[in-house]
Amino acid sequence: MRFEKTQRTPLVEMSNSHCLIVGECYPENISEWSQPVLAALEDCVGDGTQGSFDVDIELYYFNSSSAKFLFDFFEFLDEKADEGISIVIKWRYRVEDDTMQEAGEDFEEDIENCTYHLVEAEPADA
Amino acid sequence: MTNLDTVGLHEFMQQRKTLFCYSGPLTEELLTTISNPVRHQLTENETPEAVANRVFGVFIEQAQNIIRYSSQKTSAAGDSVGTIAISYIDDTFLIEAVNQISSTQKSALEKTLLELSLKDQKDLRRLYRQRLKDGPPEDSKGAGLGFIEMARRVKRFEFDFNDSEDNPMFVYRGWVE
Repeated sequence: MRFEKTQRTPLVEMSNSHCLIVGECYPENISEWSQPVLAALEDCVGDGTQGSFDVDIELYYFNSSSAKFLFDFFEFLDEKADEGISIVIKWRYRVEDDTMQEAGEDFEEDIENCTYHLVEAEPADA
Repeated sequence: MTNLDTVGLHEFMQQRKTLFCYSGPLTEELLTTISNPVRHQLTENETPEAVANRVFGVFIEQAQNIIRYSSQKTSAAGDSVGTIAISYIDDTFLIEAVNQISSTQKSALEKTLLELSLKDQKDLRRLYRQRLKDGPPEDSKGAGLGFIEMARRVKRFEFDFNDSEDNPMFVYRGWVE
C-alpha cells in the first residue's frame, strides 16, 4: 500500500511488516487524508499478524490537526503491541530540529508497549 | 480620480518590512498555493531551517484559524476573509493575522489566550499532550491545539480585539527568532 507524497502530505508506504512515513503533513482536510491511512494500518497490522512490525517516521513539519492523527496512529500500534505483536518505531528528526525532536519525545511518553527510538538524521543538504 | 495610493501601499509594506501579505478570502486550496512562496521567502537570507520551520508552523496555524473561524464570509462561496502577513524586523520574524469574529467567540478566545500567555514552555508542552489525549473541545473545528502549538513556537505572542460591538476584529501576533 502506497500513498504518494503531495505538497501537504507525506509519502506513506505500508506492508505487513513495515510502515514508512516521510515528508510534511498539513493536509487540506485531515480526516479525508488520515482515514485511509489508518484503515491501511489496521489491514497491515491485523489480528492475525505474526512476528514483528517496523515503523519509520521522518517528518519535517506537521500542523496541530495532524498531531491528532499521529496520536491515533501510535495509540493503535501500542494496543497491537500490547496484544503481543513486536513493534519497533523509529522517529527520525534532523540535527538541530528541536521542534521535531520534542514532538518525538512527546509521543514517546504515551507509548508503553512498542520499542521506540529517537534517531537523529543528517540534514537534507549535508 | 480616486485616491488609491498604490505607491503609499508599497512604501507602507516596505517600511514595516513585510515579506509576505495576503488579504482577502482564504481557503485551504489557496493556502496550498501560497505556502510555496512563503517557504521560499523564509529560506532566503540564510534563515536557519529550525527558525524557518517555526515561522512556517505559526503561519499555517494562523491561516487555518482564519479559514475556520473568521466570521466574515464572501457572499458567493462563503469563504472566510482575513489578512495574514509575515515581516522580518530586527532579526525577528513577526507573523500576524487579523479577522472578524462574533462577539461570542471573543470571550472564549480572550479566556483561552490569557491562560496560555501565563504558561511557561513546560506547562504548554504538558497541556499540548493532555489536549491530544482528551480530544478537541466542543467549539473547536480542528484538534483544539492550534493556539497551544503557536505559543510553543513563538518567543512571545500578543492578541488584541477592537471594541466594535457589531464586527469585533481579532488580532494575533507571534514573534519568532
